[in-house]
Amino acid sequence: MTDIALIVNGENKTVSVPPETTLLKMLRENLNYTGSKLGCDVGDCGACTVLVDGLAVNACLILAAQAEGKEVLTIEGLSTLEKYHPIQKAFEDVAALQCGFCGPGMIMATKALIDQDQDLTRQEIKDALSGNLCRCTGYTKIIEGVVDAYQEITGKKIPATKPRVA
Amino acid sequence: MADDVKVAEKTEKLESLRKIDDNLRLPSVPERIAFPKEIGVSAARMQTPAVGQRATRPDGRMHGLGQTKYIDDMFFPGMIHAKIKRAGIAHAKIKSIDVSEAEKMPGVMATLIGSEIPVNSFGPSLQDQPLLADDVVRHAGDGVAAVAAVTEQQALDALDKIKIEYEELPNVFDPVEAMKENAYKIHNNESNIYATKTIMKGDIEKGFADSDFIFERTFTTQMVEHVPMEPHASIGQWDANGRVTLHSSLGRITLGRADIARTLELPINRVRVIATVVGGNFGGKNEITTEPIIALLSKKTGRPVKCVFTREDEFISSTTRHPFVMEYKTGMSKEGKIMARKVRLICDGGAYCSWSETTLGKACILSAGPYNIENLHVDAYAVYTTKTMTGAMRGFGAPQVCFAYESHMDDMAAELGIEPLEIRLQNAFNEGSASPTGQVLEAVVVRDSLEMATERFGWKEWQR
Repeated sequence: MTDIALIVNGENKTVSVPPETTLLKMLRENLNYTGSKLGCDVGDCGACTVLVDGLAVNACLILAAQAEGKEVLTIEGLSTLEKYHPIQKAFEDVAALQCGFCGPGMIMATKALIDQDQDLTRQEIKDALSGNLCRCTGYTKIIEGVVDAYQEITGKKIPATKPRVA
Repeated sequence: MADDVKVAEKTEKLESLRKIDDNLRLPSVPERIAFPKEIGVSAARMQTPAVGQRATRPDGRMHGLGQTKYIDDMFFPGMIHAKIKRAGIAHAKIKSIDVSEAEKMPGVMATLIGSEIPVNSFGPSLQDQPLLADDVVRHAGDGVAAVAAVTEQQALDALDKIKIEYEELPNVFDPVEAMKENAYKIHNNESNIYATKTIMKGDIEKGFADSDFIFERTFTTQMVEHVPMEPHASIGQWDANGRVTLHSSLGRITLGRADIARTLELPINRVRVIATVVGGNFGGKNEITTEPIIALLSKKTGRPVKCVFTREDEFISSTTRHPFVMEYKTGMSKEGKIMARKVRLICDGGAYCSWSETTLGKACILSAGPYNIENLHVDAYAVYTTKTMTGAMRGFGAPQVCFAYESHMDDMAAELGIEPLEIRLQNAFNEGSASPTGQVLEAVVVRDSLEMATERFGWKEWQR
């Protein structure tokens, strides 16, 4: 067993896990943060995306021990008691989540993207979210949700795509 | 005033007690999960005119907060984990299965093989699929044994210790080969064809004789996996009174309940199936997979048992979309009117029937397309092959035939030098047209839709 001390959603934690435990498994089974999902276990689907020191990572691909001393943010730590996070609100308002299984990962990847504080285009949003798969929505609503959240948080505008219908 | 102070003191004391309590907690104890206070109905949900407006889902908020509980997010006290050993060989006779080494592995609490299951067969239309193959393996993803252990890793490690002796049988991978009389009979039936459908309308011979041109082409489609984001998952508990409770990601729970009761030889009132939020179904979660196996493992160990498919299990052992071989022959007049059509559909059903019969029926009815064809003959066959079985998936056979008849239409339009839109408008259903099976259609808007759509996206400009 390995003792791991880290900060999860702003709280200090010490967890004792077998050395081969992934960060995802530790979050889900030892700390009961089941918001991050296990979809493929090989880093393809992005359902397990969490932020480690502000960067989006696939929690199924890093060992719990690699997060030693780091600050981890999961979907459960995104909203506070007082306030619903703008990304979550945007995703709800545009119905970006259908079965919802990709949602937590998608939202965390979006947060990492918006936190970089760069000027974004729709294409850049699509590129940044290419590591997160969704099988229900066809991505249109998700991109819409990200655009809404980005505009809400940064105050910048992303021009709407030209409608195809004349 | 004094009371206020007391209350304040009390709150403070409680808060400090709570803090101490937090420090004493073991890290494995669940966190108190914080919900945001502002839980009002989203403004987007309050709008009334539906068309052109944003639609929201009532469960969207919980999904976004990460609070939706799928099967894998549920834990029961004392719960153990099951994993299934896959054959890894397409077609073979099982000579022996030895699980004794696996049972000695650390953490292993029970194993299960096919012969221990009361009724080892299931399926929505033909009960030809074993839960765990006990005499013959018919595709590489067939389960052959199951292990329940304290952790998932221990269960996976124990799977490697299961020894199975196989005697290889001939593989049949091609559905056209499988239909031949001399092909190896996968299910020991007279033929590998297990379902047929025929539609006959008008006089096909006369239709072809009256045609100016005859076009023939064979189309094929491939196997498609649903890949739901959430893999198949279930938790089984066999209680002391002989009742089974199953939490499952199953889409059709009533059908599943009947199947589970049948395989376990239990009266149906002893089986309770609890459906939870499903992380994507698309047709792939329409029938039972491991539910009776984990129920029996729970009976053996007296513990709740969870089984979650790995992504590999999902690809090799769950159902997929049928690959089709579609032979089309159409007779046309000079003007572009369809005079007669003959269609032969071969549906590669994989190792077991699953929903193939239903799929075949749908594909058969829709194979002529939305066109008025007076002389029609459709023959359709579902065939066993030693591949991953195919089952329900969005559209139930309709996308495959649509690909074929529309491609065929384009081919013919190009050959005859008629505009693709024109050839479709000339043959499309009108109000009161009869479908291939004789159903008189009402409110037919296929022409209007085609005309409006092509006008909107600039078909004519694009053609120039």
